Amino acid sequence: MYGGKVRLVVKNYPYRYRDFAYPAAEAALAARDQGKFREMHVLLLERSPKLDRGSLIECAKELKLDIPRFTRDLDTMAHKKEIDRDVKLAEGLDLYTTPTLFINGIKIAGDRPFESYREVIDRELPTSGPEGKGK
Amino acid sequence: MRPRKSRSASLLLLALLAAAPAPAEVRYNVPAGDSPAIGPANAQVTIVEFLDYQ
Repeated sequence: MYGGKVRLVVKNYPYRYRDFAYPAAEAALAARDQGKFREMHVLLLERSPKLDRGSLIECAKELKLDIPRFTRDLDTMAHKKEIDRDVKLAEGLDLYTTPTLFINGIKIAGDRPFESYREVIDRELPTSGPEGKGK
Repeated sequence: MRPRKSRSASLLLLALLAAAPAPAEVRYNVPAGDSPAIGPANAQVTIVEFLDYQ
Protein backbone atom coordinates (compact mmCIF):
# COMPACT_ATOMS: atom_id res chain seq x y z
CA MET A 1 0.00 0.00 0.00
CA TYR A 2 2.83 2.37 0.89
CA GLY A 3 5.44 0.59 -1.17
CA GLY A 4 8.47 2.78 -1.71
CA LYS A 5 7.06 5.66 0.32
CA VAL A 6 7.51 4.43 3.84
CA ARG A 7 10.56 3.17 5.63
CA LEU A 8 10.29 1.17 8.82
CA VAL A 9 13.24 1.23 11.21
CA VAL A 10 13.05 -1.35 13.97
CA LYS A 11 14.47 -0.78 17.45
CA ASN A 12 14.36 -3.51 20.03
CA TYR A 13 12.85 -2.69 23.37
CA PRO A 14 12.51 -6.11 24.99
CA TYR A 15 10.85 -6.19 28.36
CA ARG A 16 13.40 -7.74 30.67
CA TYR A 17 10.90 -9.84 32.60
CA ARG A 18 9.55 -11.66 29.57
CA ASP A 19 11.39 -14.92 29.02
CA PHE A 20 11.74 -14.77 25.25
CA ALA A 21 11.85 -11.05 24.57
CA TYR A 22 15.65 -10.82 24.46
CA PRO A 23 16.20 -14.05 22.49
CA ALA A 24 13.57 -12.95 19.96
CA ALA A 25 15.34 -9.60 19.50
CA GLU A 26 18.59 -11.52 19.05
CA ALA A 27 16.94 -13.76 16.46
CA ALA A 28 15.86 -10.71 14.46
CA LEU A 29 19.37 -9.23 14.44
CA ALA A 30 21.02 -12.57 13.72
CA ALA A 31 18.71 -12.93 10.71
CA ARG A 32 19.57 -9.36 9.68
CA ASP A 33 23.22 -10.41 9.52
CA GLN A 34 22.20 -13.15 7.12
CA GLY A 35 20.17 -10.84 4.91
CA LYS A 36 16.75 -12.03 6.10
CA PHE A 37 15.63 -9.36 8.55
CA ARG A 38 12.32 -8.59 6.93
CA GLU A 39 11.37 -12.26 6.69
CA MET A 40 12.33 -12.96 10.30
CA HIS A 41 10.57 -9.82 11.52
CA VAL A 42 7.33 -11.03 9.94
CA LEU A 43 7.74 -14.58 11.29
CA LEU A 44 8.41 -13.37 14.83
CA LEU A 45 5.33 -11.17 14.79
CA GLU A 46 3.25 -14.08 13.49
CA ARG A 47 4.57 -16.61 16.00
CA SER A 48 4.56 -14.32 19.03
CA PRO A 49 4.38 -15.12 21.91
CA LYS A 50 5.63 -18.64 21.10
CA LEU A 51 9.25 -17.63 20.84
CA ASP A 52 11.17 -20.15 22.89
CA ARG A 53 14.61 -21.25 21.71
CA GLY A 54 13.28 -24.19 19.71
CA SER A 55 10.68 -22.03 17.98
CA LEU A 56 13.27 -19.40 17.07
CA ILE A 57 15.53 -22.05 15.55
CA GLU A 58 12.52 -23.41 13.68
CA CYS A 59 11.96 -19.93 12.21
CA ALA A 60 15.60 -19.81 11.14
CA LYS A 61 15.25 -23.19 9.45
CA GLU A 62 12.17 -22.04 7.57
CA LEU A 63 14.15 -19.07 6.28
CA LYS A 64 17.02 -21.37 5.33
CA LEU A 65 19.50 -19.50 7.47
CA ASP A 66 22.91 -20.85 8.40
CA ILE A 67 21.70 -22.72 11.50
CA PRO A 68 25.00 -23.26 13.36
CA ARG A 69 25.74 -19.55 12.97
CA PHE A 70 22.22 -18.54 13.98
CA THR A 71 22.24 -20.84 17.02
CA ARG A 72 25.63 -19.55 18.11
CA ASP A 73 24.37 -15.95 17.89
CA LEU A 74 21.26 -16.90 19.85
CA ASP A 75 23.11 -18.76 22.59
CA THR A 76 25.80 -16.13 23.07
CA MET A 77 23.40 -13.18 22.60
CA ALA A 78 25.87 -11.92 20.01
CA HIS A 79 23.95 -8.65 19.51
CA LYS A 80 23.34 -7.84 23.15
CA LYS A 81 25.26 -4.56 22.86
CA GLU A 82 23.09 -3.42 19.98
CA ILE A 83 19.91 -4.40 21.83
CA ASP A 84 21.05 -2.65 25.01
CA ARG A 85 21.81 0.46 22.97
CA ASP A 86 18.22 0.47 21.71
CA VAL A 87 16.92 -0.03 25.26
CA LYS A 88 19.00 2.93 26.46
CA LEU A 89 17.64 5.05 23.62
CA ALA A 90 14.08 4.03 24.52
CA GLU A 91 14.63 4.84 28.18
CA GLY A 92 16.14 8.16 27.24
CA LEU A 93 12.92 8.94 25.35
CA ASP A 94 10.88 7.98 28.42
CA LEU A 95 9.17 5.12 26.64
CA TYR A 96 7.37 2.68 28.89
CA THR A 97 5.25 0.78 26.45
CA THR A 98 5.63 -1.23 23.27
CA PRO A 99 5.02 -0.83 20.54
CA THR A 100 5.85 2.86 20.40
CA LEU A 101 6.13 4.39 16.95
CA PHE A 102 7.66 7.62 15.76
CA ILE A 103 6.16 8.53 12.41
CA ASN A 104 8.40 11.27 11.03
CA GLY A 105 9.08 11.99 14.68
CA ILE A 106 5.44 12.04 15.79
CA LYS A 107 5.08 9.74 18.76
CA ILE A 108 2.33 7.15 18.98
CA ALA A 109 2.61 5.03 22.10
CA GLY A 110 0.90 1.75 22.76
CA ASP A 111 -1.06 -0.69 20.68
CA ARG A 112 -3.40 1.20 18.37
CA PRO A 113 -5.69 0.16 15.59
CA PHE A 114 -3.92 0.28 12.25
CA GLU A 115 -6.21 3.13 11.16
CA SER A 116 -4.67 5.53 13.64
CA TYR A 117 -1.21 4.85 12.23
CA ARG A 118 -2.53 5.20 8.71
CA GLU A 119 -4.06 8.57 9.47
CA VAL A 120 -0.70 9.98 10.54
CA ILE A 121 1.16 8.35 7.66
CA ASP A 122 -1.33 9.76 5.13
CA ARG A 123 -0.96 13.21 6.63
CA GLU A 124 2.81 12.94 6.23
CA LEU A 125 2.61 11.92 2.58
CA PRO A 126 2.33 15.19 0.65
CA THR A 127 1.07 13.78 -2.65
CA SER A 128 -1.37 11.13 -1.54
CA GLY A 129 -4.27 11.40 0.82
CA PRO A 130 -6.49 8.36 1.44
CA GLU A 131 -7.74 8.73 -2.16
CA GLY A 132 -4.37 9.63 -3.60
CA LYS A 133 -2.84 7.54 -6.29
CA GLY A 134 0.60 8.46 -5.04
CA LYS A 135 2.54 10.22 -7.72
CA MET B 1 -12.43 34.78 44.87
CA ARG B 2 -10.33 33.94 41.85
CA PRO B 3 -8.81 36.73 39.81
CA ARG B 4 -10.63 37.38 36.54
CA LYS B 5 -7.42 37.69 34.68
CA SER B 6 -6.67 33.96 34.64
CA ARG B 7 -10.12 33.22 33.26
CA SER B 8 -9.70 35.52 30.33
CA ALA B 9 -6.35 33.88 29.67
CA SER B 10 -8.11 30.54 29.56
CA LEU B 11 -10.68 31.88 27.14
CA LEU B 12 -7.93 33.29 24.98
CA LEU B 13 -6.29 29.88 24.94
CA LEU B 14 -9.52 28.31 23.76
CA ALA B 15 -9.79 30.85 20.99
CA LEU B 16 -6.28 30.00 19.89
CA LEU B 17 -7.12 26.31 19.81
CA ALA B 18 -10.21 26.99 17.73
CA ALA B 19 -8.19 29.03 15.28
CA ALA B 20 -5.62 26.31 14.74
CA PRO B 21 -7.08 23.28 12.95
CA ALA B 22 -4.41 20.97 14.27
CA PRO B 23 -2.40 21.55 17.41
CA ALA B 24 1.31 21.95 16.86
CA GLU B 25 2.80 18.50 17.15
CA VAL B 26 5.95 17.65 18.98
CA ARG B 27 8.40 15.89 16.73
CA TYR B 28 11.07 13.79 18.31
CA ASN B 29 14.42 13.31 16.71
CA VAL B 30 15.00 9.60 16.95
CA PRO B 31 18.24 8.51 15.27
CA ALA B 32 17.76 5.52 12.96
CA GLY B 33 21.43 4.64 13.29
CA ASP B 34 22.28 1.29 11.76
CA SER B 35 19.16 -0.41 13.05
CA PRO B 36 17.49 -2.92 10.74
CA ALA B 37 15.08 -1.29 8.33
CA ILE B 38 12.53 -2.18 5.68
CA GLY B 39 11.87 0.21 2.82
CA PRO B 40 13.90 2.74 0.86
CA ALA B 41 16.27 5.14 2.62
CA ASN B 42 14.75 8.11 0.74
CA ALA B 43 11.14 7.35 1.74
CA GLN B 44 8.86 10.32 2.46
CA VAL B 45 7.82 8.80 5.73
CA THR B 46 10.15 7.12 8.19
CA ILE B 47 8.68 5.13 11.02
CA VAL B 48 10.89 4.20 13.93
CA GLU B 49 9.24 1.41 15.86
CA PHE B 50 10.30 0.29 19.32
CA LEU B 51 8.98 -3.19 19.85
CA ASP B 52 9.08 -6.32 21.91
CA TYR B 53 8.48 -9.41 19.77
CA GLN B 54 7.10 -11.32 22.70
